Amino acid sequence: MDAITDVFFDYISVRTFWRVLLFMHFATAVALLTATTLQTVAVLMPVRQAAGNFVGRVRATPAASYVIPIVFLYVPNFLIGCWVYIKYRTYVRIPMEQLGHWWTVGTFEFKEHVMTMGVALLPAYWYFWRQPLTEQFATTRKWLVVFLAFSVWYAFLVGHVANDFRGVGA
Amino acid sequence: MTQTLDVHQGVSQLDRAPTMAAATAEISRAGIFAITFGISFMLLYTVFERLNWPFFTYHPAVGKLDFWMQRPRSGEGPPMYWYGWLVLSGMGALGVSTIATLLPRPWLYRTTVFCCLLAALWPALLAAGVFIADQVSFDAEFLRSVWLSGVLAVAGAAAISYFASAQWVQRVWLSWLWIVPIGGLIVLGYSLKSYFLR
Repeated sequence: MDAITDVFFDYISVRTFWRVLLFMHFATAVALLTATTLQTVAVLMPVRQAAGNFVGRVRATPAASYVIPIVFLYVPNFLIGCWVYIKYRTYVRIPMEQLGHWWTVGTFEFKEHVMTMGVALLPAYWYFWRQPLTEQFATTRKWLVVFLAFSVWYAFLVGHVANDFRGVGA
Repeated sequence: MTQTLDVHQGVSQLDRAPTMAAATAEISRAGIFAITFGISFMLLYTVFERLNWPFFTYHPAVGKLDFWMQRPRSGEGPPMYWYGWLVLSGMGALGVSTIATLLPRPWLYRTTVFCCLLAALWPALLAAGVFIADQVSFDAEFLRSVWLSGVLAVAGAAAISYFASAQWVQRVWLSWLWIVPIGGLIVLGYSLKSYFLR
């Protein structure tokens, strides 16, 4: 890992490198948040035809169309998160503990577990959303979508709080 | 006439419509792999995290990697176990999922029930044993034994998975995809209570 980062440090400072990585994590998280939220809306409140307003059009979007973007955003975002986590453990968590921000530490620890569960469910998510969609597995598909959306929302909010403690712009 | 035809069409469609059990039986090998991977990864991750069994320990401050679990050492900063849990769970889940694709379906359903019940019963019986040992006035230290609760959990899980009907184990098989993450997150969340009760 150090050998990979050392290549970048020849061109940019250590601080800038981690900030760029954290921003990439944030940017993919926002895209993932959008995709999972839109798919959840399309799955939980489906309509057959697009209505005039924005919400109606979102509800009418085929939920299956979000699957590939979600998988291709979830995995890189998880991997970038794994990388940034090194900096969190040494640079952010230690002062958090010293200042007694135990709730932030605890919720961030839980984020690790939530995202791990989400990654573990991705192969099953991909399988059940393959075409043609089997009606008998509609409930399973719905559950997978809701869980992935929950994991992304939880991780985003908790990550944002941790970033506010010590991150980009903090 | 038209109505009669519609009714007949509806009935014939109902006849053709596969039930949930039939649809589960038609899941391909790739599906078996994906579903078993999800269930086993989440189960193993919860167990390895609780036992603190990482495949390796990473020391980020000094960029050092140690096999298995290593306690923090002076001057080397905090150790990271999460990567080690992920890798060990991933390797275990890959192995389990590959074996699952080779098993006959009835065996797969019953084995899944056995493993999930074992993972739930073992810590539950151990916690109950510790609670009882704390409450009673006589010497009940044997109830704190990990192995006693383990033997009882194996016996209980084996009995339930053996005597459960074939239809039930097949029907419940997909449900493990939501039971395991919820159960796992409850266990892992509870283990973090020290952060929230300070």
